[in-house]
Amino acid sequence: MERVALVREAVKRLLDSGQVEGVLALRTVGPGSAPHLFHPGDSLDDLTLWPKYPLPKILDMLLAADPSVRLGMVARGCEERGLIEMAKRNQVDMNRIRLVYLACTAEERDECCCSWPYPSQIDVGDKVEGTADALVAEHERLSLAERTEFWKRQFARCIKCYGCRTVCPQCFCETCVLEDNLWVEAGVLAPPFPSYHLIRAYHTIGKCVGCMECENACPADIPLTVLYTLLRRDAEEMFGYVPGRSLEDLPPLAVETLWQTGH
Amino acid sequence: MEYRNVLTTCIYCGVGCGLYLQVLDGQVVGTWPAKGHPLNDGRLCVKGWYAHSFIHHPERLTTPLIRDQKGGPLRQASWEEALDRVAQRLMAIRETHGPDAIAFMASAKCTNEENYLLQKLARSIIGTHNVDHCARL
Amino acid sequence: MTNSIPEFDETDCFLITGSNTTEAHPLVATHVLRAQRRGAKVIVVDPRRTQIARLADLYLRQRPGTDVAWLNGLMHVIIQEGMYDAEFVESRTEGFEELKAAVAEYTPERVEAITGIPAADLVTAARIYAQAGRAAILYTMGITQHTTGVDNVLSCANLAMLTGHIGRPGTGVNPLRGQNNVQGACDMGALPNVYPGYQPVTSEAVQAKFQEAWGYAPPLRAGLTVTEMTDAAYHGAVKALYIMAENPMVSDPDLNHVRAALERCDFLVVQDIFPTETAEFADVVLPGVSFAEKEGTFTNTERRIQRVRQAIPPLGDARPDWQIICGLAQRMVGMQPTREGRFAGWEYCSPAEIMAEAAALTPSYGGVTYERLEQGSLQWPVPTPDHPGTPYLHKDRFTRGLGRFTAVAYKEPAELPDEEYPFLLTTGRMMFHYHTGSMTRRSEKLEREVPEGYVEISPEDAGRLGLGKSARVRVISRRGTIETRAWITRRVPPGTVFIPFHFAEAAANLLTNPALDPIAKIPEYKVAAVRLERVA
Repeated sequence: MERVALVREAVKRLLDSGQVEGVLALRTVGPGSAPHLFHPGDSLDDLTLWPKYPLPKILDMLLAADPSVRLGMVARGCEERGLIEMAKRNQVDMNRIRLVYLACTAEERDECCCSWPYPSQIDVGDKVEGTADALVAEHERLSLAERTEFWKRQFARCIKCYGCRTVCPQCFCETCVLEDNLWVEAGVLAPPFPSYHLIRAYHTIGKCVGCMECENACPADIPLTVLYTLLRRDAEEMFGYVPGRSLEDLPPLAVETLWQTGH
Repeated sequence: MEYRNVLTTCIYCGVGCGLYLQVLDGQVVGTWPAKGHPLNDGRLCVKGWYAHSFIHHPERLTTPLIRDQKGGPLRQASWEEALDRVAQRLMAIRETHGPDAIAFMASAKCTNEENYLLQKLARSIIGTHNVDHCARL
Repeated sequence: MTNSIPEFDETDCFLITGSNTTEAHPLVATHVLRAQRRGAKVIVVDPRRTQIARLADLYLRQRPGTDVAWLNGLMHVIIQEGMYDAEFVESRTEGFEELKAAVAEYTPERVEAITGIPAADLVTAARIYAQAGRAAILYTMGITQHTTGVDNVLSCANLAMLTGHIGRPGTGVNPLRGQNNVQGACDMGALPNVYPGYQPVTSEAVQAKFQEAWGYAPPLRAGLTVTEMTDAAYHGAVKALYIMAENPMVSDPDLNHVRAALERCDFLVVQDIFPTETAEFADVVLPGVSFAEKEGTFTNTERRIQRVRQAIPPLGDARPDWQIICGLAQRMVGMQPTREGRFAGWEYCSPAEIMAEAAALTPSYGGVTYERLEQGSLQWPVPTPDHPGTPYLHKDRFTRGLGRFTAVAYKEPAELPDEEYPFLLTTGRMMFHYHTGSMTRRSEKLEREVPEGYVEISPEDAGRLGLGKSARVRVISRRGTIETRAWITRRVPPGTVFIPFHFAEAAANLLTNPALDPIAKIPEYKVAAVRLERVA
């Protein structure tokens, strides 16, 4: 059976089970797709799988809008890992979520240069191994001065759309430091080098799961995930921490007591 | 709980990026850039990302208003009264001063259909070519 | 635009002038900069060192209002060095000898004296543009908002024809239109000299066509433009103004004059979604709806017709603008003798029905239906239901047959700095706000970014005036005065200041010169003379 048909079946089962009020997935719109909350009894004929949108971010919003609601979601590997990091920071309650686990195809993996294109368990799809981002390897061959020059050139194109922040499931602060004039002078294009982008980069440490949504949303085509991948690797080397690997791992930047008391 | 996305076109510059309006229980709560769109393919500028943010603003006009005398206050009115007032006053001015004493500013912010209708009204009912919009501004 | 935005992915050279592309048309800049990374050259000619100017391969800074001079200079170099497309000129154009004679005196040295652009840079730019496989000119209001706006546009067209950079994918003369549906409003006949589809109001055949369709068509005489309307209201020739979703009390030149005109109107109707500065003068305010509450279509800068879809019901008692117009029209037709015609009626069930009527009367929209738009956008001309649409114009012939070169001579702007008003003021848009700000200034995130207006001033001039960072400053022209904040920046050269026009409380248009281009009737927003004073 076709992959999408299997997902539709799994979603239908979840909806029929009565465990959730709706399932967040993608719906076909013209040649593309859009996020949609499917309810029991809805036709699932237009449920689709690609192009993906940041479903964890939407799920967070829906759960917050109604504290009693329980929802399902079709989750790829990056989306499951994203939810895990959000759960650690009390953004989502995993007990209110049921997932349909979807493994990415080789084509989808290549589109994202994804190193980890499958979830912790698989309901639909076949596991394919991850791939390395060639740009990251290329970048590692540059000297420090060359790297600075590279990023200066990249960030000079930034038009401060805030898309990288707005699209990111891990950006959930109520007040965003990027909108604090003390750190980033408002109203200036490109935003001052390097504060805007390096602040954001530091804030992804221990959270970024490499879902690629920021880079795909960037109107300046800045290879943001190269930066975040390198930071993720450093954090793994220094702290042994891999974002999204498990709900139990303690984030390196979290203070233990706060973590335990749930604040 | 109802959550859906409606594909539409950005209302700011002339590029015409495709975007989704996110609708949660009858409120527009956000946008998503349309992936696969020939112009913006999943990207937006900051205005596009916040194209939803004025829709539910408390200052939205939600009822017709009439000023009974110059310099006086605006008061709420029904559609019946407001449209009657406009129709009668415009037709009276047309009668007294001729069609060209009335001028229409159409809008680069309104749809094609609305611009078509306003110039049709100006030309076929009032009888004037005094219709323009801010193309030059 | 003669061409399409996706075609820029094939362009080898961009000549961008009078366009702050990354701020005013950000997603066009995306395509331009993507092309640059694969090797295309970007030349920017602009008085302001904007982001796109800083990213350009070659940046030329001309004095505001000297565009004909440098464009003629480019053509001078291209002809001198034999870089023009002789075959294109021979087979597709006429008037080359006149052009050649006209540009002969625009040597790089003379152009440098007029424009301030170094002669060597002009030559370099001419070579890059002329020798590119596919070169595209991109411009916006920096070219058009001058008393010589038409001359400037003709010069851009001359340059494209001279080099054969038109009528092929990735080339062309591409005005980036500023508003989401300014193209569509023009297409639909919201212009005083043409019916829908640019059918002239002075043509008897066209008049007969609309007489038959609507049951009435006005006399063969063009109406008033927006700026002429306010002037006529001021002088009493226009007694009533009906303003749908426009805000002349911020957008029009010389606002003190606009205010007096609106005050003198016997009857002013404003149809809008917010209580705008213009609505303060209205006798009747009709609440329309936002784009989220109605169905329709917009036509973008590359003639692409796209759907607008309703996401939520109208707020409160507000009504979609098309329904308001229909309601009004139905009352008015009842007050006059019956109009007989195929499309004389006003009983529309939906915008799709309105489009069907508009398409029947607008040749370039002849094949447009909502059914087709469900499958994706269409670029006009799309004359028939089976026509695929037209990504780029003038492929094998120009609209008039041969392209005509128009020899143009440089003329000075209407008002230049003098002893009393020593600074040159130029105005425009910025990233975070839009037009008169009625929407963006009510958007929390955008308003946080730039909550007040400002004047861009060079460090040299700020020093001379004793202005520190964010100092308050008074800007005075012959028409008005505003108080605003100084932004000291090298974006503007000494002697020139820039003010964005989005801020009603420090409105650039209190200062601007209402002098118009004699043909296009566009005001000279890009050049006016002002004086600056430090606010104690």
